[in-house]
Amino acid sequence: MSNPTFSKIETGYAFPSVAQSYAQSAIDHYALASLDMNPVHTNEEWAARAQVFGMPVTVGHGMMTMSTLASVVTRAWGVIGKNGGSIRYVDSKFTKPVKVGETVTATAKVKQKHFHGPGKNWVQVLVEGKDSTGDLIGFAEVGYNLPD
Amino acid sequence: MAVPTRLDKFVKTEKQRHFPKDFMTGWEEYETWADATVGQSGPAQRTFVITEEDILDYNKACGETDPLMIDPDYARKNSPTGELLQHPIFVTTIAFYSLGEKGIGTWIRTPGARNPQQRIEIIEPFKYGEVVTTTVTTSQKFVQRGKPYLQMLLDFHNEKGVLKARWWCSLILPETQADVARFANA
Repeated sequence: MSNPTFSKIETGYAFPSVAQSYAQSAIDHYALASLDMNPVHTNEEWAARAQVFGMPVTVGHGMMTMSTLASVVTRAWGVIGKNGGSIRYVDSKFTKPVKVGETVTATAKVKQKHFHGPGKNWVQVLVEGKDSTGDLIGFAEVGYNLPD
Repeated sequence: MAVPTRLDKFVKTEKQRHFPKDFMTGWEEYETWADATVGQSGPAQRTFVITEEDILDYNKACGETDPLMIDPDYARKNSPTGELLQHPIFVTTIAFYSLGEKGIGTWIRTPGARNPQQRIEIIEPFKYGEVVTTTVTTSQKFVQRGKPYLQMLLDFHNEKGVLKARWWCSLILPETQADVARFANA
């Protein structure tokens, strides 16, 4: 993955969007990969009885949503970029549970450039995730170190 | 509680083979919102040895397709670290494995919990073979719009004491053990 330089990147730069399926099989895989085996994600019968989110269906993990939001930036620029650069933080908030069967589409733009001197400059990216109804399911700020 | 058998096909790693998959087992021992004390700190129950398969499966579960994240041979030749690059939210796996079933921070496994917000900082990538110790500090406990929030700071150090990542982990929790029981017994 190549990424731009700090001097060239402009606020408002838009990343290619990312779409992630929240089919039950995708949620199941995430449950094992993360070791978060909460039945609100994997057990349809329990989810229907407990209604943790006021709905009788399983939902995706919040951390799966956070991963989808972060992936918008890392798929474009790399976890570690070819030209240098790396992700420094992800700060996310969740606004609506992602119901099983949904597809989350995440988009992102560079919001701020942080000038800390050569080798220390970074940008803040604002990421938004929406479900198939267009509702905001969560958003994140991602900090990314860019080469000068 | 029975765990759906369809999940078996996703068991790929050594840790997944041995990890307790019944989320309800031992919930009576978990720390609750009512019990938690801000400022209390301690180590998680288990350490976590970083392996290629742990990172590979997390990356795949996130839907990644970059060979630097999902092709170990390609990564060995082309990755800047000589290893698979890990998704920045991979610390989730370290936390759920390490926090275990008893002691501080076990509320991460509370039935009925809701996830409002999270912050993860990456200091440097994990390396295969590193033995990660997770230190838990209860950092915030408050009620907002009638909902009980609890936050802990998880610091992830390798065996040399190098800080690798930090996670400010927040959940909205059932307040007391009786409240948790309503979900555990649902």
